Amino acid sequence: MRGLEKLFPVQEIGSLPKAPWLLSYLRGKPVTQADLDHLEKWSSISGFEAKTDVLSILSEPKTFDSERRIRNLASLFALRFLESAGLDYVYDGEANRIEMYEHPIRHSQGFEFYGHVRSFDDRYYRKAACVRKVGFREAYHLSEFENVKQNARRKVKVPVTGPYTLADWSFNEYYQNRLSGRYNDLRKLKLEAKRDFILDLAKEVIRPNLLALANAGAEWIQIDEPALTTKPEEVPFFVEAFNECTSKIRCKFSIHICYSDYRRLYPQILELKNCSQLALEFANRAGSLSDAYGQLNLLNEYGDKREIGLGVADVHVDTIETPGAIRDRIGFAVKTLGDPSRIYVNPDCGLRTRTWDIAYGKLCSIFSGAELARQQMA
Amino acid sequence: MYILVVKSYLTGSFPRSEQLIEATRAAIRGKTSPSAAEEAFRRDLAKLIQLQTQAGLDFFVDGQLNWQDLFRPFSELFTGIQLGSLVRWFDNNTFYRKPVVVDRVRFIGTTLERYFRHRLLPPNCAKKAILPGPYTFAAMSQNIAYQSIADLVDDIAHSLRETVTQLRESGYCYFQFNEPYICFGKTTESELNMLKDALETCTKGIGEKTALQIYFGDPSSFLDAILDYPIDCVGLDFYAMSADSLSEHDFTKELGCGCIDGRNSLLESSDDLKKLVAKIEEDVDPDSIFLCPNCDLEFLPHSIAEKKLRILSEASRAIG
Repeated sequence: MRGLEKLFPVQEIGSLPKAPWLLSYLRGKPVTQADLDHLEKWSSISGFEAKTDVLSILSEPKTFDSERRIRNLASLFALRFLESAGLDYVYDGEANRIEMYEHPIRHSQGFEFYGHVRSFDDRYYRKAACVRKVGFREAYHLSEFENVKQNARRKVKVPVTGPYTLADWSFNEYYQNRLSGRYNDLRKLKLEAKRDFILDLAKEVIRPNLLALANAGAEWIQIDEPALTTKPEEVPFFVEAFNECTSKIRCKFSIHICYSDYRRLYPQILELKNCSQLALEFANRAGSLSDAYGQLNLLNEYGDKREIGLGVADVHVDTIETPGAIRDRIGFAVKTLGDPSRIYVNPDCGLRTRTWDIAYGKLCSIFSGAELARQQMA
Repeated sequence: MYILVVKSYLTGSFPRSEQLIEATRAAIRGKTSPSAAEEAFRRDLAKLIQLQTQAGLDFFVDGQLNWQDLFRPFSELFTGIQLGSLVRWFDNNTFYRKPVVVDRVRFIGTTLERYFRHRLLPPNCAKKAILPGPYTFAAMSQNIAYQSIADLVDDIAHSLRETVTQLRESGYCYFQFNEPYICFGKTTESELNMLKDALETCTKGIGEKTALQIYFGDPSSFLDAILDYPIDCVGLDFYAMSADSLSEHDFTKELGCGCIDGRNSLLESSDDLKKLVAKIEEDVDPDSIFLCPNCDLEFLPHSIAEKKLRILSEASRAIG
């Protein structure tokens, strides 16, 4: 068991909102006073040391090089933001990525984008089709990782979108076409083609990326699989893929899953060979502490002794949880799991849908709540 | 000699074009007027009508282009329903607003024409209306007003019946009820009976064609119960169930053959579709087959949905 001062380390999960001055610059729009105020305010709060560099680039015409430089500064800006909120494990809010799906797909081989597909209401996302065998094009997180590693003042955890989610959120043309004619049953054909797709993504795309990160010094990589529990019959495909892409890589691995019935993961998830932590969303769930966090008991039920990344702040609402509420959520997890040293605390998911103020408020509250929980344990 | 009658139609919402997406976004940001967005909706519908005409479909739909999800219009058309949180739509990376039933559900229907755009469809075409199934509607809502789901299903069914009655007066001659939830999880006998009673309420005596569309799941274990329902056509999703399982049933209805995959961009081959229909014909010999997508096409980009509609047409002509 860790010493008390090390209990309940605070970690981020992934995305932050893009800085407004970054968006204005990337979109070729005039930088507004509100953009500059944002830069000023958060530089002051977080101790961001490169404000003048940002201002200098904002006055330049946009070029390939200036875009690269301002993205790196936005990454540093997010890093300092997270550090100043007190987090023990940080990254850069995915400042360099388009978003968690489109970024890896655009930097891998075998995909084509056809157009927009509705997510909900009037919100859409670009959905790609796998039209050829998938392949590695470049280590698409390496440059951002090196930038973070060089500047981070806390320990670093790298979020990487997993093979199951990339496959599930894409159309599968190539692998389904490849099996065409072998099955009369279209359902079986589709399922087998999905398995092939996921496994190829694991072997040909994700593993080389993980190796590149580990070789560059990454000590902890979080595999994000938000789609995982939507089709329970496919959980074994994920397990096979996870083991394939992480095998014999010397690095700590964890998975992040959210907004799901976690019962659907068991018992198959016990077969993950190189996964130290499950980072899960809970705070979004309605009801009492035992209603919201009751599925923690699954770990006891199945003898799952891994660490838990406990979602203690809801990323879908602006209400900032009090430190006392967060302490109580941690306390419930301690009571359920028995071993406080297995518990890390984090927001439910990435904070990109919140404002910078709300995101900061939530992170600071998590930090304070973890401190209260430590005091309670002392 | 027996000749199988093969027809075709769409079974759900059609994706918005890139132009319409841009127009709706611009309207939300206040960069264009709502009437400009409405014009874009009308252009999309005109194109969809043209596509259905060229494809020779037997029944025309309006594509539900201005529906935000399957239940959304009914928060206006029925009393007692408010909009709740975003919830995943089955196993898709798509979300709907969960209806929250806060009071007794009753049909008011004052904005019916906003969501069923029969006036924009060609006057002489056979018009099909697509509605949420009563059980799926109730089960996918948050019920805080009714003592039991059976009471809620019953009131939704009565409200849908009034919707059907009004739509029939507007010229609709085919009513399809979408019931994906019935094969989601373990289906009980009481749920099946509840749906049967509700469909009786929705359809009894209307004198027009009716269909039950079941998708995203496999109803083969209770297909006999479904085949006993008071509807003319059962639509099935052959990307979620095996066509082999049909041979175990006495298929006494028309079959909605969901053979165009609304959830994958891979274009179906005519040969594969022909083989599937030949197998179904051999195994179960239904009165007639409607070739159709397994579900809404709105899970696809617009350009792919257009191509799928053309494939549907080609297959229907080749097989029929």
